[in-house]
Amino acid sequence: MDWKGYTVIYVVLFVFATAQAVVEFAGLVDSAYWAAFALIMVLSVVKAVGVAAYYQHLRWEPRAVTYLVLGGTVAALALTGAAAYSIL
Amino acid sequence: MSQDHEHGLPPKSSVSRWFLTTNHKDIGVLYLITALFFLVFGGVLALLFRLELISSGADLLGSMGYNQAVSTHGLLMVFWFISPFAFGFANYVVPLQIGADDLAFPRLNALSYWLYLFSGILMGVSFFQGTTFAGGWTMYAPLNTPAYIPGEGLGATSVVLALIMFTAAVTLGSVNFLTTMYRMRAEGLRMRDIPIFSLSINLTVWMMLFAFAALLAALMILASDHILGTTYFQYSIDGTTMATDADNPGASLLWAHLFWFFGHPEVYIVFFPALGVMAECFQTFTGRRLVGRKWFIISMVLVALQSFVVWMHHMFLTGINLPIKTIFMATTIGISLPFDLMVFSLIYTMAKGRVRFTTPFLFSLGALILFIIGGITGVFLGAIVLDYQFRGTYWVVAHFHYVMVAGATALFGGLYYWYPKITGKMYNETLGKIQFGVYFLGFNLLYFPMFIAWETPRRVFVYPDGLQIWHTMATVGGFILGASFLLMFYNLFVSLWRGEDVGPNPWEYATSAEWAVSSPPPLENFPGVPSYGTGKLEFLDEETVAERTESMPGAAAHGHAATDGGTVTDGGAVTARAATTATTMESTHEVSGEEHASHASFWPFLVSLGGFIAFLGLSGVRTGSVFYLTMAAVGGVATFGSLVGMTREPFHAPEMAIAERWPFERVEKMKLGMWTFLASDIVLFGAFIGSYAFVRVAYGWTAWHHDLIPAEHVTMPGLINTYLLLTSSFLVVLAMVAAERESKRGTVAALAGTFALGVGFLINKGLEWQHLFHISTETFPNGWNLSTNIASSTFYLTTGLHGAHVTIGLIICAYMTVRAWNGAYQGDDRAIEYFGLYWHFVDIVWLFLFPLFYIL
Repeated sequence: MDWKGYTVIYVVLFVFATAQAVVEFAGLVDSAYWAAFALIMVLSVVKAVGVAAYYQHLRWEPRAVTYLVLGGTVAALALTGAAAYSIL
Repeated sequence: MSQDHEHGLPPKSSVSRWFLTTNHKDIGVLYLITALFFLVFGGVLALLFRLELISSGADLLGSMGYNQAVSTHGLLMVFWFISPFAFGFANYVVPLQIGADDLAFPRLNALSYWLYLFSGILMGVSFFQGTTFAGGWTMYAPLNTPAYIPGEGLGATSVVLALIMFTAAVTLGSVNFLTTMYRMRAEGLRMRDIPIFSLSINLTVWMMLFAFAALLAALMILASDHILGTTYFQYSIDGTTMATDADNPGASLLWAHLFWFFGHPEVYIVFFPALGVMAECFQTFTGRRLVGRKWFIISMVLVALQSFVVWMHHMFLTGINLPIKTIFMATTIGISLPFDLMVFSLIYTMAKGRVRFTTPFLFSLGALILFIIGGITGVFLGAIVLDYQFRGTYWVVAHFHYVMVAGATALFGGLYYWYPKITGKMYNETLGKIQFGVYFLGFNLLYFPMFIAWETPRRVFVYPDGLQIWHTMATVGGFILGASFLLMFYNLFVSLWRGEDVGPNPWEYATSAEWAVSSPPPLENFPGVPSYGTGKLEFLDEETVAERTESMPGAAAHGHAATDGGTVTDGGAVTARAATTATTMESTHEVSGEEHASHASFWPFLVSLGGFIAFLGLSGVRTGSVFYLTMAAVGGVATFGSLVGMTREPFHAPEMAIAERWPFERVEKMKLGMWTFLASDIVLFGAFIGSYAFVRVAYGWTAWHHDLIPAEHVTMPGLINTYLLLTSSFLVVLAMVAAERESKRGTVAALAGTFALGVGFLINKGLEWQHLFHISTETFPNGWNLSTNIASSTFYLTTGLHGAHVTIGLIICAYMTVRAWNGAYQGDDRAIEYFGLYWHFVDIVWLFLFPLFYIL
């Protein structure tokens, strides 16, 4: 990827970060918390995938590297999800 | 052997060699000897409390003495003996079995060992800081926090820090082994075909990579509770009674979740290498290939995966809900099924072969018998209703030891099995068999009565009078078991001088590659580059390797397809030879002897020594003692200085010229090592974020923000820091682009910009923290600091951990900026890319911390 491609990614990341703050400034967190929660977390996931795919070049690495990263992510999510569910 | 012949290493008879060496075989020997020392350490403690238990009551050691002995015995055996003992073999044998000349990162391997050793020394030092940790090896909260530890509790803090040091060693080792096994296999050696011991180690390090990251998170949080005053695991004390703190109702359960998420895979982390040894010995001493080998391997893979979804069966007696208990009961019963298959595979191998009852085989067979008993008695504990009765009793103690010490039994078999390879001498077979007999008798006399006396409460020195006979038998068994080791040590020690010399292969049916070279093997392991390209092991000479690598220029860069099950990039089938990748001419020089690999470095020892001093100092800084503060400062400086020295030291560890690398053909070893480390770091941060989510759910997710966080904690500082980090990530990729274009000015500018933005991030964070520390409101009259409540603890510690990552990144960035200024990286952006992988990861973590801690 050349510098133009990296720049496009940067602009998108910048806008998405701003959008997350705007969700709060607009009062959505107070008025519709779980909708705001979902929106903000989805934006974070999209940003993270963008950084991993383009800045860390996962798109161009063998899939095994992606599976390695997903392995750690799934382990962390399993711990978080099951532990939180256990006390609901 | 001359020093020249050892590539800069002093001879083995020289003490200095053992401080300098980075060779995997030397490190393996160091691990074995050190682990056996900790076996004796933990064993003597066990004998002490077995003496105490001859009669009910703490009349020998005293109550605190008993609690310390029991706790330290468990910690030493689980952490400092069994796994490191297995990794002594792994270090020595795995590179030989897969056809590698060493591990991928030899200095990191040495660093792992020294961190392990010094962590054990710190553990030992903790006895001299008043009292050591006395709350049981599972270290349940809140008894693991200073408020509930008698006295100053500095020894307990040292134990926590020692465990952190140990975990760091394990993480480095996991990264190293995985990179080695995926980048340095002999040509034609598919993953599924590597010897079963190496395969067991491969799966073990996968589990270690993720499980120990969760433990590291738990320990870092606990250390923070000890040293910084956060309140993750503490209940408030209401007068003189322990009361559940309304601020932190999830405290105790949080520890249990984090600990057992690590703790249950740890059982298999301990047992898998033993299983690998058993499989090797069964094959060798029955003269029969493992029956159902493919299914044996599939079963191990299944267990490795399932091991991460059974942890809550250790928590059936806690307040977790019934549906989750039921799910975990099912997964727990389910994990026994692949084990059944493995056990039957071993039994059928024995039935179909002709058994040779050598000492290694006897220990392997004994381990299998003990494991079957341990496994069956464990199924009881997997059932919720039975666990309600058995939990916290000697049933657990007996079951646990039948499993874990069964693993150790197999490893002792491994010691006899590989002793001739390591020393070049044969042990005394008769004495070995006698030792097995005494060992097996002592083991069962020690642990089986515990099943009968199961109503004895665990970790308590008082028990009903009617059970005394069983406890007395167990104590006698303990001493017999201990005596058996005297026989082993005598046998192995005397055989070093009096044992018969052995050739490359003293066992008739041993077939793995370590038996194809002399005993002990030479420093470089093999007489040429090992290859299975023709279907059998052969060693390629210099000319062949040179021809092959020259005929495949850039093969590594273009990549090749998988041989063992993977798809191919061009859609066609590939052969093992075609899948082999060649690297640079640098490797060819190594093979042809023009440029030798390095084997000596003093820095790993110095880094670990510095770390030891720093951690010892940290254990006491909360007292304000000048001694401890000085130790922390001196140790910190020494560690940093040593790391810089290690970075600047010329050390050559080339990739193999020809190797099998599925599924990471195009990912060179530094990059694979970085990715593997980051996978572990994902779990570390995941566990921190998961801890935050857990205590917030326990408190009440939406009430948390209103009750515990001041209005002054606003979004803007987080948003600014998000912009700073995103921009710094952008600059790192621009630095790569500039380096590719050989623009020195562009590279320096981009790296310097990254550094400046990172510093800006930290300054902004520092200002924000200062502001929050000193707010004075009606709800928070004394500011909002680390100890104010659980929300402040999670905020400061999680973002603090992230800040520490930023700081480390900045140190690397500063170093690289200077190097770029001096002309480095032009036309070769790989180093910047590897740094970028880390820096972007730090950025990604912040992308989640920002919304969780600033918006939601």
